[in-house]
Amino acid sequence: MTDKPLRLLLAFDDRFQRDRDQPATFLHRRDRRFALDCQQQGRSPGIRAWLAHLDRLSGAGADRSQTPGSRYLQRWRALGAGFIAGGSLLGVAAMLGLLLYEGGQRINVTVFLAFVMLQLLLAVVTTVQAAAGWQPWHWLTRHWQTTEKSPVRTALQPPMAARAAQAGGLAFATSGLITLLIMVVIQDLAFGWSTTLDTASTSYHRLVSSIAAPWAWLWPAAVPSLELVEATRFFRAAPDAATTSPPQWGQWWPFLTMTWLTWTWLPRLALLLATHFFLQHRARRLLARHPGLTTLHYRMETPVIETGNQHSDADDLPDTRTRSELASLPVTPVCIAWAGAGRDGLPEELVPTSSRPLSVGGNARLEDDDAVLQATRQQLQQQSRPQVLLLTRSWQPPTGELSDFLEQARQHWPAGTRVTLVPLAADPGLPPADHLLQPWLRFAGRLSGFASVATVGSTREANHE
Amino acid sequence: MSNPSPVFAVVGHPNKGKSSIVATLSQNDAIAIALEPGTTRQQQRYPMTVDQQLLYTLVDTPGFQRPRRVLQWLEAHSVSASDRPETVRAFVREHEGDTRFVDECELLKPIIEGAGIIYVVDGSVPYSAEHEAEMTILRWTGRPSLALINSIGEDDYSDTWQAALGQFFQIVRKFDAVRAPFEQHLSLLKAFGQLEPTWEQPLQQAVEYLASQREHRQHQAATLIADALIDMMSRQETRTLAEHLPTGDQKALENSLRERWYQHQRQREQTLRSAIETLYQHQRIQRQEAELEWHSEHDLFSESSRRAWGVSKGYLATAGFGAGAVSGAGIDALTFGSSMGAGALLGGLAGAVGSYLYGDRLTLPTLRIGPLQNGLKTARFGPVQDPQFGYVVLGRAVNHWWHIAMRNHAGRELLELEPTDQHWLEGLDKSHRRSIQRTLDKCRKQRQPDQRQRQDLIIAIEQAMKVYEQWRLNHTAS
Repeated sequence: MTDKPLRLLLAFDDRFQRDRDQPATFLHRRDRRFALDCQQQGRSPGIRAWLAHLDRLSGAGADRSQTPGSRYLQRWRALGAGFIAGGSLLGVAAMLGLLLYEGGQRINVTVFLAFVMLQLLLAVVTTVQAAAGWQPWHWLTRHWQTTEKSPVRTALQPPMAARAAQAGGLAFATSGLITLLIMVVIQDLAFGWSTTLDTASTSYHRLVSSIAAPWAWLWPAAVPSLELVEATRFFRAAPDAATTSPPQWGQWWPFLTMTWLTWTWLPRLALLLATHFFLQHRARRLLARHPGLTTLHYRMETPVIETGNQHSDADDLPDTRTRSELASLPVTPVCIAWAGAGRDGLPEELVPTSSRPLSVGGNARLEDDDAVLQATRQQLQQQSRPQVLLLTRSWQPPTGELSDFLEQARQHWPAGTRVTLVPLAADPGLPPADHLLQPWLRFAGRLSGFASVATVGSTREANHE
Repeated sequence: MSNPSPVFAVVGHPNKGKSSIVATLSQNDAIAIALEPGTTRQQQRYPMTVDQQLLYTLVDTPGFQRPRRVLQWLEAHSVSASDRPETVRAFVREHEGDTRFVDECELLKPIIEGAGIIYVVDGSVPYSAEHEAEMTILRWTGRPSLALINSIGEDDYSDTWQAALGQFFQIVRKFDAVRAPFEQHLSLLKAFGQLEPTWEQPLQQAVEYLASQREHRQHQAATLIADALIDMMSRQETRTLAEHLPTGDQKALENSLRERWYQHQRQREQTLRSAIETLYQHQRIQRQEAELEWHSEHDLFSESSRRAWGVSKGYLATAGFGAGAVSGAGIDALTFGSSMGAGALLGGLAGAVGSYLYGDRLTLPTLRIGPLQNGLKTARFGPVQDPQFGYVVLGRAVNHWWHIAMRNHAGRELLELEPTDQHWLEGLDKSHRRSIQRTLDKCRKQRQPDQRQRQDLIIAIEQAMKVYEQWRLNHTAS
């Protein structure tokens, strides 16, 4: 008898439970790769192969016996062994009890038959209970569930319990049978039949003949004759019939042995096999309906899509601390517009103080920038404290080109010249937004004292308020 | 030999949202994005692969720093229009390692190696002729090009941009990197494929894969929510007691078990949120939501949460009737129909009444101490008997999922999970309402839903997600 489907289900369930903490992207990559490898090698990517593949990757030395599924199986095996041991002992005890013969009364065949029927009934009840999923023995395994909860293992409980119970029953029947045979050999047993009911020997003979029907063709001597039935009836209140010869009392044993074998031992064996196959069938069905199997198939069948999200530089941000502060707007006639700033109109503050700004950057050619540097140099030389206003568009952040222009200006203009950067908003009357101003303040800070930043539009805004 | 997969260099002026475009299209929220020129200092490649087969690559690049000087150099070294691409190549070769032109070399390198050009501008600021130098350089490379009008601020100057860009680029598209819905991402990728005939097929393939990935993610999200819902609804805290407890100690025990129960529920909700975020490749989200405390306004267990995410009494009664009727139908089946459907009717009525009672308030579990067994007693707290709790969990989970699914990877703002003020679930059809209610009922009776019920719940939650999406759409439109 093999437990392959059951072991496969438990191993798969263990893997499923373990994988629950893994990111879905990793699982997809891992399983898709396995499926593609199988495809390349012309193999089918079955569950068994998949599990073996994962175990192989983890390397030797993994303790398989410590997985929840293995532990579950081990516990049931231990429980099953307990049932078998208990059943064997009880079988011997029960048979010894049934065959108790102290020399006075006969061993009552009717009691023996009733006990056999009880065994048959118990075997059937165990099977029905497993099929219906009742768990009257739930208390026995309750503590297993609290630590390692799995719907699969819960669903396996009834057939597992039924198999253990049937195995115990078979052990009971086997040891009982052996005890019966030993007792027949070593003791002189006297059987008879007795009942309080007013039953004729012919009726009793009909009953035992129908019980013996399965083996009547095989071993006719194990079917009691009407004479034997008539001769071995006894009443506790009356002495034995004088016509019955002593060996006749012992002639029941072949019938009783075959009754035990056919109606206790064989049903237990058949039901054990049936329960075992039912368990394997249930395991196959649970595996086929396992939620992890659908997702595993999906992972194997669908391509792994990677959109380039492995790279991470989110923590590698530039230093955005601003150390310099806004300066006040100087009064100077020298005003330069960088990259078209102020083309759509100048703020009120700049109109009376500046002449038309000189254009540099943006669309202007580099030669034009040089010409402006030359022209302003002469203007600045005439000032005692040379100051330059450089208008920019606040939303176009400072670039290397502006940095080059200012570097060139520092070399061309008289020593001590100070540049005030004036980032303008799209609406020239308003000050620029703070988040646009910050890069300008940091840019000016890097020019080590040569440039500062001032805004316009705040006065007008204040007036509005 | 097959054609090499297309490469797209995302280029432009500094601080115009190049990295944001790349972050959204590559679904990568770990790309540095800041309103500071020079945040991107070197080119970075973002390949899109399917089973390790490369379909296309996006290259994020630094912005132009000295375009006029580059153009001056190019003009000085070119004789005719035919030698322009070669002249650009010569510029890069000559200036590699030159600190003045590091950014230009970095951004031009992928282009001269054969990349298509995605030129990004900010449509929320006025057009400026300052950009013409860089646009001319890009035209000199002779590579297929597309211009994207991103929108960083609130103003809209996209019309003037569109007119100007049309003179330099084959295709001009508007694309808001932070707010564009997923369908627009796909449409943009398709537009990339239009730049060159050999690029159409890989881009079309990529679009199909991404669309199916999106669909699958929604299903996976529904599965994650279903599992969390089952777990939270059937949660029970237990403690074994050795002896009879005086009333004071019983109160303390109840408080301790309640606290453990609350803690588990909050933790489970947070685990679900992380799982949904990971599913949609959002690894760095900072959430802004009410602290999950009993008395806070939007707590998982609060009255306001029930008002926001719970369902109406009418909803509960009809869903309860449906779920009860299904159980009652079992009686009819047992009597081979001789009960003439009375079982279904009675079951339905019982379910409706039971659920209706919970319509008005959020009833949380209380402590129950079991009978003495083997000298021990078991104190139990939970599972919650009020189905409204399940709807609160479901509503909050679907709301969070929606925010994550709709969020682009360029988004860096806090994720605000504000509660709604309407019963959006009312739009769900009866059979799906029944599936949800049936599972909630089963969980609160501490019975594990079987595989079929779990599947039904997942389908119902998927449907609820669609209803929520639709409700959000109408809600935003109105």
